[in-house]
Amino acid sequence: MKKILQLTLGIVTSVGGFLEIGSVTTAAQAGARFGYQLLWVILLGTVCLIFLIEMAGRLAAVSKHTIVDAMRERFGFPFFFFVLIGMVIVAFLVLVAELGGIAFALQILTGIRFPWWALPVSLLVWLLMWKGTFSLIENGASLLGLVTISFVVAAFKLGPDWSSVGASLVPTLPDSDKANYGFIAVSILGASISPYLMYFYSSGAIEDKWDRSYIPMNRIIAGSGMTFGGFLSMAVLVAAALALRPKGLQVDTFPQAALLMTTALPRWGFYLFALSMLFACFGAALEISLAIAYFFAQGFGWNWSEDLQPSQDARFAFVYTIIILLAAVPLMLRVDPIKVTMVSMALTSATLPLAIVPFLFLMNDPLYLGKHRNGWISNTVVAIVILLSFVLAVISIPLQIIGG
Amino acid sequence: MRVKRLAVLSFLFTLACKPPTASEQMDSIISWLGTAGMAGRAWLNHTTPDKYTRQTLELSHDSLLEIGNGLFKSLPPGVDSASLDSALTRSREHVALMAKLVDQKDAPDFRTLLDSLQADETLVKQLADSVEAKEQ
Amino acid sequence: MHLIRDVLDKQLVDRQDCNMGRASGLIVHLGESTQPRLTHVVIGGPALWMRIHPSLGKLSTKLARLWGPKRKEPVKIPWSRVKTVGKDLKLDVDAKESGALDWELWIARHIIERIPGGGSEEEE
Repeated sequence: MKKILQLTLGIVTSVGGFLEIGSVTTAAQAGARFGYQLLWVILLGTVCLIFLIEMAGRLAAVSKHTIVDAMRERFGFPFFFFVLIGMVIVAFLVLVAELGGIAFALQILTGIRFPWWALPVSLLVWLLMWKGTFSLIENGASLLGLVTISFVVAAFKLGPDWSSVGASLVPTLPDSDKANYGFIAVSILGASISPYLMYFYSSGAIEDKWDRSYIPMNRIIAGSGMTFGGFLSMAVLVAAALALRPKGLQVDTFPQAALLMTTALPRWGFYLFALSMLFACFGAALEISLAIAYFFAQGFGWNWSEDLQPSQDARFAFVYTIIILLAAVPLMLRVDPIKVTMVSMALTSATLPLAIVPFLFLMNDPLYLGKHRNGWISNTVVAIVILLSFVLAVISIPLQIIGG
Repeated sequence: MRVKRLAVLSFLFTLACKPPTASEQMDSIISWLGTAGMAGRAWLNHTTPDKYTRQTLELSHDSLLEIGNGLFKSLPPGVDSASLDSALTRSREHVALMAKLVDQKDAPDFRTLLDSLQADETLVKQLADSVEAKEQ
Repeated sequence: MHLIRDVLDKQLVDRQDCNMGRASGLIVHLGESTQPRLTHVVIGGPALWMRIHPSLGKLSTKLARLWGPKRKEPVKIPWSRVKTVGKDLKLDVDAKESGALDWELWIARHIIERIPGGGSEEEE
């Protein structure tokens, strides 16, 4: 009975926690510019994420190690430190983007500009980390995040042509604007396959004391939770393709994105969008802050648990305090959150090999997983997607930067 | 081998170094006209807050001004730049005026401006097609 | 036992299962006529940073003199105190007394406890 409850909660939280500013922005840009054509990238990213999340849970359940624990042990300190630097820089940028998403949602609701919201928002995120427990953060934020299901309602109400939706699950290249197409594809992959989600999930499995008996449950949570989550991203893309594209709207700024649901749901669309972004980005900001603090604490062997009082794991609490407050600074200086989002998503893609390749080695190591090691299917799927996103990133990021 | 790779790379870089083409700038202009139109329509239906609408209209106005300034330098020959200029100036003024009307809650005048904005948008779209045709 | 695989970088826990860092270095005694013998496990500090580059080790020593808890010697735990080697290395020591938690306690006292709601590290 307890497991069924946990299972339901697990699926619900992964659905509610799936969307964040990265997935919404990239999917909306894709739909507004290229119609359904980039849907296949969301599919690809989601499939890869399902495999990775399942692996993260399995590693924790079988070996009682989080990914970071195992990485430090298996590859030694110098390599671990190298990965730490890379991951923390990227995760920090994503955190800035998420805080920006919250601040922008508040801006469109109140009219008060986002730089003014940066500090209050980051203090609120910090306060929840300081006072809250792990289950409060995981469940509370994700339950509120269920408001993002309104994107699915909007997409359905706009009446998409299902045969062309289905057809765009097969990769194609556009006739023109190929550089932009590549860059958005890279950003979508970065938004779907977020390494911080793996670190967060594997730490959560340890906090919840998973053992081998959780392996089937882990499989169902990863599979169905991420599948539903992927549908949400696709719904954003479809809604943008139907509501924004005919008007020639491109999603370069947040106020433009806010018009995403006003056609489909005239009365509530605007407010549902603002609330979706508010809750989704809030949940993501909490998860990323925790993931960064976990990364340090587990890598250096400190005490860590979101359920302890801050002074009982002082270094862990110190890390997230500093990170969250620092993340408010760029926003106070009026750095555009949408730009930070696009850059951080593309960078996530480019650094995926750094996060995933050592993880794949661990997942094939009998020392940690015994007979529960990866099979060839999961190895192949993940390796191909990671390689693809890396190659795409290396080609399209320079093009985008220099093209301005 | 290495020379070939360098050549490909430098070719890619020169491609990328190009400033936005005229038709790309036309796309941005259409995007901002569409934004002003959609935000205006939503406000008339009482589905968006006043402040958001005003800020979005102001943002559209500023963006239109900025893109318009760069556009005329890169316009290919043979495009009717006079009517483009007048359509852009007119719609910019209308968007600015709409932003003011939001605060006065003047829906009838707002609706009139919105309709003429839509007419200008259609005109700009036609011109954008001709820009694209001339560029190729 | 394979020292690098099974000991180095392993999580260290004390009698009360309190995390006390990771094994950042090992001290091996090389006798002239005897077999090499593992004598100590080192925790944190320059030993860790030296593994990336010797200059980083020196830098960390310098910085530690300017800021943070005052401790002259690196934390070394005699190998005889190692109870079991498994997922973690269980040590027959008290984490706070060993010095491995100096930084944790320093940050708790100087920063975390001064923020409202931080609690106190003295509580159990």
